[in-house]
Amino acid sequence: MMEFTRLFLREEFRMHTYYTNPRMFLVFPFIVCMFSFGVALTSDRILADTTLDDVMLLLHVSVFLYGLSVGAFGFMGREYVERQHGRRKYLVASPLTLPISFRKTFLGMYLRDVIFYVLLLLLPATLGLLFSVPLSGFRWTSVVLLFVAALVSFLIGISLSFFASVVYIRSHAAFVGVTVLIMGLFVAQVGFDAIPLTFLLPGLAMQHSLPPYSYTLTSELVLSALGGVVLIALFVAAAYALIPTRFSPLRPKTETRDLPRMFGKLSFARQYRGLLAKELVDLRRSGTVTKMFFSFVTPLLFLSFTAWFVRTGLAIPVGFNTVFYGAMVGFFGVILYSWLNNVDIMEYFETLPVPPTKVIKTKIIAFLMLTSWISLIFLLAISFLNDDMSLLWLAIPVMFVVSIYMVVMTAYLTGLRTNTFLFDANILVKFTVMSMLPDVCLVIISFTIDRSLFFASLGILVVCSVLILTTIILYKGIDDKWKRAAFTD
Amino acid sequence: MSVIQTENISKKFGDFSALTDINLTIDEGELFGLCGPNGAGKTTLLRILTGQLVPSEGHASVLGTDPVKEPVGVKRIMGIVPEVESPPSYLTAYEFLYFVSKVRKIEASEGKIRKWMDFFDLTENEGVVCRDLSKGNRQKLMLAGAFMHEPRVLFLDEPLINLDPLYQRKVKDYLSGYVRNGGTIFMCTHLLEMAEKICSSVAIISGGSIIVREDIDRLLGEFGSLENAFISLVGERGSR
Repeated sequence: MMEFTRLFLREEFRMHTYYTNPRMFLVFPFIVCMFSFGVALTSDRILADTTLDDVMLLLHVSVFLYGLSVGAFGFMGREYVERQHGRRKYLVASPLTLPISFRKTFLGMYLRDVIFYVLLLLLPATLGLLFSVPLSGFRWTSVVLLFVAALVSFLIGISLSFFASVVYIRSHAAFVGVTVLIMGLFVAQVGFDAIPLTFLLPGLAMQHSLPPYSYTLTSELVLSALGGVVLIALFVAAAYALIPTRFSPLRPKTETRDLPRMFGKLSFARQYRGLLAKELVDLRRSGTVTKMFFSFVTPLLFLSFTAWFVRTGLAIPVGFNTVFYGAMVGFFGVILYSWLNNVDIMEYFETLPVPPTKVIKTKIIAFLMLTSWISLIFLLAISFLNDDMSLLWLAIPVMFVVSIYMVVMTAYLTGLRTNTFLFDANILVKFTVMSMLPDVCLVIISFTIDRSLFFASLGILVVCSVLILTTIILYKGIDDKWKRAAFTD
Repeated sequence: MSVIQTENISKKFGDFSALTDINLTIDEGELFGLCGPNGAGKTTLLRILTGQLVPSEGHASVLGTDPVKEPVGVKRIMGIVPEVESPPSYLTAYEFLYFVSKVRKIEASEGKIRKWMDFFDLTENEGVVCRDLSKGNRQKLMLAGAFMHEPRVLFLDEPLINLDPLYQRKVKDYLSGYVRNGGTIFMCTHLLEMAEKICSSVAIISGGSIIVREDIDRLLGEFGSLENAFISLVGERGSR
């Protein structure tokens, strides 16, 4: 099994570095390490405003969600097994031709993801904290134990994700049932405090029995560690048992002639009409539009919750007004552009007189059509709930300008391979600077609206003007940068 | 009149030389077959001529259009069937041809879609999304998409490989008629018997270099069969 897992790891690494420089990819964990080093050095200030309990809660919930987001390969199980990703075939499909079971290949993928994502983020972050020990005054034993507790939270997340995605392969209805049950548990905790959070996240419970909370071995620590291990083992064992022995072909899916109908409705798109019609049909039939909706709405809800938590829970008087939300909504749009590039293979474009730049621009139009109304509804709702509708006249233009800027900037930097290129440290740094800089400016200015609406509006006008100008330059730059990009591997 | 011309085309991938000094001229009405062992450079050359890859050195032209300078323009004047049959997963068979007709701005497209759906007997499957079609039916769709705009030149990479014998015959007959009417075909293939029957000229490529380029009749006169020519020329080169 170890040799098999090593092969999976090699496959994963080569997949991530196919389009980028492997050295640049390896810079990613280095950046994570430096970031956590920086956080450690400023920990005094963070802990002056926030309690250690809240910091730990945030850390464990984040690590749990990280695990949850990277372990869902089971959703792709049938895709991996039944069809080629263009010229690509993955090791997980080996049971089709070799005497090996899907259980073994799926377990190999699970182990691969555990090792790969721990090495990519969790371990470098821990190393950053360890390097800070001489300056921050942290105890190295506390850092190591923090890693162990965080690892338990991560493993619970990734194992739960593995289990849920395998349930999805078996039955979509059962998957909905599992999801509702898990969400119910968390709602019961957050909304009604009916279940202790440490029960749901044993890693967090372990943390509360470790330094700096406790320096002795307590029965609580043993119980929570045991609880964590049992939970992980249960999820993995259940997933293992549910992995199908074979993938029977599904009934061929038939559809009506949606494309001509869609084409008829999109006359405004002119030269992009055909590609846009296909893009919208693809999005609906592949189910991507639902995934996009939730991956956009979830961070928006998370943002609203965080803002509410900071303001009411932590009682920190920060002025999260409608303009702040306008800027943040635009920022999250980048997640959706990434989805648009993962709907389907694009090899057939090589046979047609279509430049890659036209496909990129079609995706930008699709993005605007799909997100504008969600963003607008969210902004209207949050401003209504916060009784802050008087700032909508400023927040709505900010939202549109930031949205368009973010998607054009992402398209310029990553073309048709957003997921891959964002792992290239060189591009990641550019992306971080180009996205954080304007957003930080807008957020800071939005906090000054209470003092002087006139000067704040003026500042926002300047930032938005720069963003519009940059958007135009980048949009034009897409032609030069990506005109020779390949659709195939 | 020459339709396809290459001058000293070379292609390197890092240190690996995929093609070295390829010089070819293919005339109008020629059905040209490019044969060679696996990894010899057949698909690489096809991809350069169709504007998908940029050569490291040399020039090429297809109907007077430079595929390096005009990678989109060159695709307007040709039909391409790639090595892997890969129509878009979520469009139906009918919708794929509709999409091709819109991208290629084909006039009176409904009649042409119907013609090719009938030709390949795809009508029964016209509502099935491409990802659920059989390999053979996906290949038929790729062929229909390449033939539909009636281009003057076709680039085909193993066009018959997934088709049953009935459709292999049907496509071969169509291709023969196509060149009789003045069309030109550049075809990469491993099916030597088929190439022997329908190609008017053949080149054998090995290790990135053309080792022979002859009229099919002259080659058959010398070696008896294309298989003999292939084995003796490629084998001879391999044993050197």
